[in-house]
Amino acid sequence: MGQLWEPLGAGSDRAAPLSYDPRAMASASPTSPLIEIRHLTRAYEEGGGTRTVLCDATASIGRGELTVLIGRSGSGKSTLLNLLSGIDLPTSGQIVVDGVDLTRLSEHDRTLFRRERIGFVFQFFNLIPTLTVEENLLLPMELKGKVSEAQRRQARGLLAEVGLADRAGSYPDRLSGGEQQRVAVARALAHDPSLVLADEPTGNLDLETGLQVLDLLDRLTRRAGKTLVMVTHSLEVVGRADRVFRIEDCRLVEVPAGAAG
Amino acid sequence: MSLLARSSRRYLARHPWQFGLAILGVALGVAVVVSIDLANASSQRAFELSTDAVTGRATHQIVGGPTGIPDAAFRSLALLGLPATIAAAPVVEAYVAVPATASGSGGSARLLHLLGVDPFSESPFRPYLSGGAGAGEAADRSGGGSLDLGPFLTHPGAGVLAAETAREMGIRPGGRFAIEAGGKDRTVELVGILEPADPDTRRALADLLVVDIATAQELLGRQGRLTRIDLILPEGADQPALLRRIAAALPPGAQILDAAGRTRTTQEMTRAFRLNLRALSLLALVCGLFLIYNTMTFSVVQRRTLLGTLRALGVSRREVFGLVLGEAAVVAVLGTALGLAAGIVLGRGLVRLVTQTINDLYFVVSVRDLSLPPETLIKGALLGIGATLLAALAPAFEATNAPPRAVLTRSALEARLRRALPRASALGAGLLALGGALLALSPGTAGSQIGLTMSFAGLFGVILGCALLAPGGTVLLMRLLRRPMGALFGILGRLAAGGVVASLSRTAVAIAALVIAVSVTVGIGVMIDSFRQTVARWLEASLRADLYVAPPTRGGGFGGGFLAPEVAVKAAALPGVRGVSLLRRAEIPSADGPIRLVVLGTDRAGLDAFELKTGDPEQAWPAFQRGEAVMVSEPFARRRNVEVGSTLALRTARGDRAFRVAGIFYDYASDQGLVLISRPTYLRLWGDPALSGVSIRLAPGADAEAVARQVRALSGTARPLTVQSNRSLKKISLEIFDRTFLITGVLRLLAGLVAFIGVLSSLTALQLERARELGVLRANGMTPGQVWKLVTAQTGLIGLAAGLLSIPVGLALAAIMIFVINQRSFGWSMRMEVSPVILLQAVALALAAAILAGLYPAWRMARTSPALALREE
Repeated sequence: MGQLWEPLGAGSDRAAPLSYDPRAMASASPTSPLIEIRHLTRAYEEGGGTRTVLCDATASIGRGELTVLIGRSGSGKSTLLNLLSGIDLPTSGQIVVDGVDLTRLSEHDRTLFRRERIGFVFQFFNLIPTLTVEENLLLPMELKGKVSEAQRRQARGLLAEVGLADRAGSYPDRLSGGEQQRVAVARALAHDPSLVLADEPTGNLDLETGLQVLDLLDRLTRRAGKTLVMVTHSLEVVGRADRVFRIEDCRLVEVPAGAAG
Repeated sequence: MSLLARSSRRYLARHPWQFGLAILGVALGVAVVVSIDLANASSQRAFELSTDAVTGRATHQIVGGPTGIPDAAFRSLALLGLPATIAAAPVVEAYVAVPATASGSGGSARLLHLLGVDPFSESPFRPYLSGGAGAGEAADRSGGGSLDLGPFLTHPGAGVLAAETAREMGIRPGGRFAIEAGGKDRTVELVGILEPADPDTRRALADLLVVDIATAQELLGRQGRLTRIDLILPEGADQPALLRRIAAALPPGAQILDAAGRTRTTQEMTRAFRLNLRALSLLALVCGLFLIYNTMTFSVVQRRTLLGTLRALGVSRREVFGLVLGEAAVVAVLGTALGLAAGIVLGRGLVRLVTQTINDLYFVVSVRDLSLPPETLIKGALLGIGATLLAALAPAFEATNAPPRAVLTRSALEARLRRALPRASALGAGLLALGGALLALSPGTAGSQIGLTMSFAGLFGVILGCALLAPGGTVLLMRLLRRPMGALFGILGRLAAGGVVASLSRTAVAIAALVIAVSVTVGIGVMIDSFRQTVARWLEASLRADLYVAPPTRGGGFGGGFLAPEVAVKAAALPGVRGVSLLRRAEIPSADGPIRLVVLGTDRAGLDAFELKTGDPEQAWPAFQRGEAVMVSEPFARRRNVEVGSTLALRTARGDRAFRVAGIFYDYASDQGLVLISRPTYLRLWGDPALSGVSIRLAPGADAEAVARQVRALSGTARPLTVQSNRSLKKISLEIFDRTFLITGVLRLLAGLVAFIGVLSSLTALQLERARELGVLRANGMTPGQVWKLVTAQTGLIGLAAGLLSIPVGLALAAIMIFVINQRSFGWSMRMEVSPVILLQAVALALAAAILAGLYPAWRMARTSPALALREE
């Protein structure tokens, strides 16, 4: 199979966009890091000036790692998640996720990449209110293609794992906040993504429910060998992390896991 | 069904009000357009069928002036030794009235189209009379119907009717019925029935009374005169030479016209009228489209977060675009289907109004039932679906811009919109200028197709421009209202005014849609009102006599029935009568369509009834009375590009004569235009002494009622003459005006209904969407009563803003309709009259609908626990 993206380090800024082919996943080496970010800078035009949120960030994150991003509100944590998912593009630098250089892809291809390889957990759950719980789980699968019976079984299995097998036919607005977030966790994993991004997933829940959701997220991603990048303020989460990064004054700095907080 | 489609379907199902009303908006728009189209098509079809029935296969027609052509002209054709391939048939044609008691049409007199033919010359022309086949579209499919020539030729007053007409009149073959023809009571014996199998031919023959040519001349009192001679001249190189040869043998005043061209020019008389109706119906659709645009935009704005989430999950822009457009397609299909059905129902009602107006203004046409041409329904369906999808395009594009994860906050979205406001306003101003330029540059000739099309394009440009300016206007208005609202209602008032601007992403489109919808009703209302007042003033100025005498039954067409000239002589001799003016209406055929003559026999005082728009009365009227000049009406001047000093050629019974135009007078009786000519001149050149009416001026102190009684008895028949007082004639004239504009009024009402539904749907949706915000306010201690007040104040403010902004826009639309479109269509100039009632109605319409729209959300929010409202988000 031909290589659809240039080898790491070969390209600098954006050249001609490449096509994204989901089959290319197979060519990413299982030993290489899942995420490579190199000299990443993101700046916004604001009120006639420029506000730089990330400057020259470089890091790599391995497969199966639980990585936590911490920092003050507005420091750029969510921006980094947006860059990792291909929702946003850097001002300069390179992001390679699972062997795909996102900065070389068109908007459409980044969307295809996201539906294939990224799972999202949002602070405000963001379930689709017009789909039932089970349908919310099936949606990412369906976006990838026709849903097979095996996938339906898998979705029901995931629901059972998050303790909501009996709520499969309910609409999200009938669920509590904790239940909704558990559905969101299951949805993020339903289509077997390489990377799960969670943006303050416990920020909207009480402590106890937040911990339950956290346990669930940790357990399910680790068991499935997924990489989880989580933005959080929770010390509890930081304590469980394999790697911790702090964004401070637009710089991305890794801090020893035990020393964070 | 895919999950995305399923989600979409459930969204529609969860917002039944929002989408139900959008469907209703499309349905109403489509219904109005389709019904007008069907009514137009039906009247046109009826005209074509009846013309087809009476013209048959004639390629040319020899026509004369108001008194027709002499019999001898037909005989002289035979002597010309024309080739055998040429067929000729004499025809006498007129409208006759069946008295109400025998008409079978529910107590009103029935007009029959009298066709006098020579059965021996007929077969190539109108085979439904001879039972043959092969002539005329209608006749081709007639599938039968035959004429027993014996009684037809030998029985006095013998006539043939279509079976359906005879049935409606309750007459069987052998039976007799009374008619009023040529100012006299006559009797017709039904000697045969025409029963074509084909429905089109049946419709074509409705109300057609066929008699032998001699019978027709006798019934009408036109012995020795023909209305026309139909000819079939085979096409070929020798046709022009043949035409010249025939023309040379014709008596003075007669001319050969192309039959198809004659039909076309007659039909084109109604073109501007039909185009206006269509444009007004399109205005209703435009109102509907604004509502669709509003609904779809609202549904996108409402789901911005949801769409953002979908995008984050990997739904592509194309899929989001398809999702929104798919929803619009559902609305389009349902709304269009409903609209087509409603259009057919509405069309049945409107066809009567359209036919009535055509009969009042143009020519007699009898429309029995609604034609349902598939192309009209297909066009309506395409228009409904196409326009809805078009209106949904912008929201669908907007949806694709929903940022993944909805990173754009609500406040950022509102800020972005406010920043875009100057650009939208500039674009609006640009469109306004473009529309204005199109209006200014459109050619001013009345009835000009290009001029009218450009004018309507300009009108729609102005509407779009105003729609884009409306949000900016709202912001300014709310800034002005914030302080007084605060003073009146305290914090609730300020919250309401501030909320309209703060949620501009929701309110801007709604207000723009409402402004347009309401302003259309203002525009049409002011236009009708201005027209009515202009006509009332004109009637006041032009109807100066005390009594007006007309034949017992008016008869059809411009000429109508006739009065014997001795009626005027006898009336003038009655005690108490100071003077009489004589009136004759006559039509002269011409290649550019018939020219309508008004022949006036009056003294100088009687001429003062005509107000000159152009021309010096001191010079023009004496020249008119001396027979040196004619006057033309304003629409005639505009339609035929005639000015004071121009020369007008008219075909008289003594050949072509050129007349100088000495003045242009105001006239609102006919959009085809009139030529005013003095009676001595008319008598000298046309030799036709008949009268259409007489006006009587009474001596001071004379008893009007007593004179009227004496005049009525002068008819010489069992039925008295129609005598009306000045006041009752004005009243009747205005009633005819109102009848003519009834259809426009109905369209205004429908546009108002669309506007009302628009206000209701957009504001209900807007307030329901604020559930969480209101929940927060309730949680902070706002009582249900205060929620009521807040919601009502805000919807009321939006309604007020739309109502107030619709006034200048509506007045601009009215000005365009009055000063541009009306003149381009009909050639009438009128003064713009703005009745405060119409403006108040507009504000009341918007306000009432807006307040009504707030009731349900306010009731729901007042009843819902704040916790639930907060949670529902």
